[in-house]
Amino acid sequence: MTRDEIKDLILEIIEDIDEDADFDALQADKPLRDQLDLDSMDFLDIVMELRKRHKLQIPEEDYPQLATLDSCVNYLEPLLTDA
Amino acid sequence: MHVPFLIIGGGLSGLAAALRFARFLPDVLILEKHSRVGGLNSYYYRNNRLFETGLHAITNYAPAKTKNAPLNRLLRQLKIKRNELDLHQQIESEVRFLNQEALRFSNDFSLLDAEIAAKFPTSYNRFRQLLQQIEDYDPFRPAPFISAKKILHETLGDKLLVDMLLCPLMYYGSSLENDMDFGQFVIMFRAIFLEGMFRPGGTIKDLLDLLLNHYRDYGGKIRTKAAVSHILYSGKKVIGVELTNGEEIRCDYLLSTIGSEETFALLDKPSPLESLPRLGFVETIFELSPETSLEHSENRTIIFYNSSKTFSYQQPQSLVDFDSGVICMPQNFQDLPPSPFKEVRTTHLASYDQWYNLHDNQSSYNSAKDDTALASREVAEKILGNFAENIVYRDTFTPLTIERFTAKKQGAIYGNPVKIKDGDIGYDNLFLAGTDQGFLGIVGSMLSGVSIVNQHILSRL
Repeated sequence: MTRDEIKDLILEIIEDIDEDADFDALQADKPLRDQLDLDSMDFLDIVMELRKRHKLQIPEEDYPQLATLDSCVNYLEPLLTDA
Repeated sequence: MHVPFLIIGGGLSGLAAALRFARFLPDVLILEKHSRVGGLNSYYYRNNRLFETGLHAITNYAPAKTKNAPLNRLLRQLKIKRNELDLHQQIESEVRFLNQEALRFSNDFSLLDAEIAAKFPTSYNRFRQLLQQIEDYDPFRPAPFISAKKILHETLGDKLLVDMLLCPLMYYGSSLENDMDFGQFVIMFRAIFLEGMFRPGGTIKDLLDLLLNHYRDYGGKIRTKAAVSHILYSGKKVIGVELTNGEEIRCDYLLSTIGSEETFALLDKPSPLESLPRLGFVETIFELSPETSLEHSENRTIIFYNSSKTFSYQQPQSLVDFDSGVICMPQNFQDLPPSPFKEVRTTHLASYDQWYNLHDNQSSYNSAKDDTALASREVAEKILGNFAENIVYRDTFTPLTIERFTAKKQGAIYGNPVKIKDGDIGYDNLFLAGTDQGFLGIVGSMLSGVSIVNQHILSRL
């Protein structure tokens, strides 16, 4: 997957969790949690959806790496090269 | 047989836990002892119609825009859209201490606020301080027991107001006699006074069917009339369960929603928890002919009443304590579809032991049920106006009835007074959710199932 595709994947998952999520003003280097009003329960959904869709196992200690859209892409890029 | 995730109990916490897991992995099995799901909030057929058990009203009403309200978080976690639920808000409820004072409240908090300002003017500023304390408190942070009664007395300094605020919160979710943990008080105050009450337009069966349909769509499985006789384990690792018919089912993770002592019994272990009195209840349903007008009910949804000088919430010495209780009129929610039925439902504290003493004498037991219905009707008529002539059907549940159909020990609907908030009962892959985990009410118990799955199971897979 390219970086843009990974970005779209994350946004698609978030939209699936919260259909009212507003991405217009989203800054890729700022925490998703604050900007989209996500809580830790919602965050777990992102992890579980990645597992379901791409068989990715993300260990709990790596969850902080999914904090911003940019950090998600950085973390997932090497894991999704063949996807 | 082997399943990755096995759940004991098809009540609302078990169903929510199962649905949450099945969203990501379909290999879940629920074992329900009874022939029907729902646990405390279920239904039965009698007199050619469906009667709900348990449900008076669902607490934690929240409008769609409050994203972080418990109701909306729950729906998001279960991927259920709000419009799949047909939500009807309460009209108006009341805490009425007979010959003392009355406080009305609704889903608009300003009503209760104005009532307290008008009726307890000297305590009003102190009530605003209490609201600030409630707003600032994090009830989900692990903390030792703090007496809500003590904090309320210190903050409000008016015994009557303290009792009037505690009465509905205790009746709708306290397993403890005459007090509550302050964290539990905060959760209940938010759920009932700050958020409010609603119910589905249809019956509890619609809500249960909605959950089951979503669950089955994901591939989740359920077995009813499947009672567990033992939990099989080795050291701290659970291997599976054995059913009463001798069948073994193995699992990677096991969730028990049947109560802490009930779970220890399946492990053949004594419960390590302190043993405190459990609170039993009696409930009577009066079905009334549709043209009945309840003269003084003023369309109240729920009335929490107390008729004695001081309010006590404890196991009575007698079969039933009629001095206080809950009167619910399920037809009094906003914009409900027309129904050919009207109901008055009453709840009072009851003694399990006293009822148990009658259990092998069917005629005394039945006449005690009749006496209970009669006394309860008289109390309700004092408040609502007469309806004896309009009763078309009546049924009374005792703590024994509740124990038989819900498997809650001693029919104590709010379970063990000692709660295990993190769901950890000392095993690597067995966790506790539901009533004895500590979140109560329909939204609370479902969030209990969801949060235990999130915290202990999904994050470890």
